[in-house]
Amino acid sequence: MTVYSFYIFDRHAECIYKRRWLPRPTSIVGKSGQTPGAAPVGLGQTVKAGDDDAKLVFGTVFSLRNMVRKLGGEEDNFVSFNTSQYKLHYYETPTNIKFVMLTDLKSPSMRIALQQIHINLFVEYVVKNPLSPVEHPGGIGVNNELFEESLEQFVQTRVLA
Amino acid sequence: MLHTQAVFSLIIINKAGGLIYQREFQAGLRKLSTNDYLVLAGTFHGVHAITRSITPKIPLAPTTNSPAASPGTSTPAASSYSYPNPGASVSGLDYLESDKFRLTCFQTLTGTKFLLFTDPMTGNVETIINKIYDLYADYVMKNPFYQLEMPVRCEAFDRHLGAWLRGRT
Repeated sequence: MTVYSFYIFDRHAECIYKRRWLPRPTSIVGKSGQTPGAAPVGLGQTVKAGDDDAKLVFGTVFSLRNMVRKLGGEEDNFVSFNTSQYKLHYYETPTNIKFVMLTDLKSPSMRIALQQIHINLFVEYVVKNPLSPVEHPGGIGVNNELFEESLEQFVQTRVLA
Repeated sequence: MLHTQAVFSLIIINKAGGLIYQREFQAGLRKLSTNDYLVLAGTFHGVHAITRSITPKIPLAPTTNSPAASPGTSTPAASSYSYPNPGASVSGLDYLESDKFRLTCFQTLTGTKFLLFTDPMTGNVETIINKIYDLYADYVMKNPFYQLEMPVRCEAFDRHLGAWLRGRT
């Protein structure tokens, strides 16, 4: 299983945390030219790209969540969707914080995992942090070392499992 | 649950995002107004395009001999990334799962989208949607009075679709 990216959106539709993992370059049919000296882009490398895919991801999950609520009723929950290339997992807390994770197609349901990230990591290290503000405009308070480190570890164990 | 093979409803969206067919087969989902279905079709059309564009791109390692980089894949040799699943073409949303239903989307080569709402436990949705496409080809596309991209009002299509789905369960 590979995790491509992870996003947290707050109740004001703002992306308060975003992280991308670059998987190792895929093995290509005639990969004899792969130089051993060239360091492969390792898993866990953060990309600080300022592009706006977070906004696109938010728009997608927001629209789909509303569609699901409309058709299935208020107590229905949007869980995930697949395309031919990736799978998007979605979890929303009762406080309207949205957790989104993009993984490969082989991954099992990540609903419990996202729930665990909320309970064991987000609540523990962000909400209970006395120095962290109540809201997190621009990601203040979320990008603390403890949260990032444990998220890293959490995803690593999932990937290796 | 009794109806584990339930097929709730079918929506057909033309290539411009307009709703051209909507029919409910079994109760299970909420009823929407015609206007809401039109909005749903348009929204889905947009979301489908966005889900294709947010496909993760995997950077390729800088190799010295770039011609060997991607023979056979759809990505041009000059680009420095590939897609997670290079065997398949990049598509938009294929299927969506919620607690209460599963939405399967099938897009034809001409851009028409078939949206099938089923029970999450229903198996072989692929077969059902392919059969619906067959019926659409036979009774809508071959109907000389049907105008392309316009709402589907073909009695024969309704009849055969209903009969086939009833016979299946």
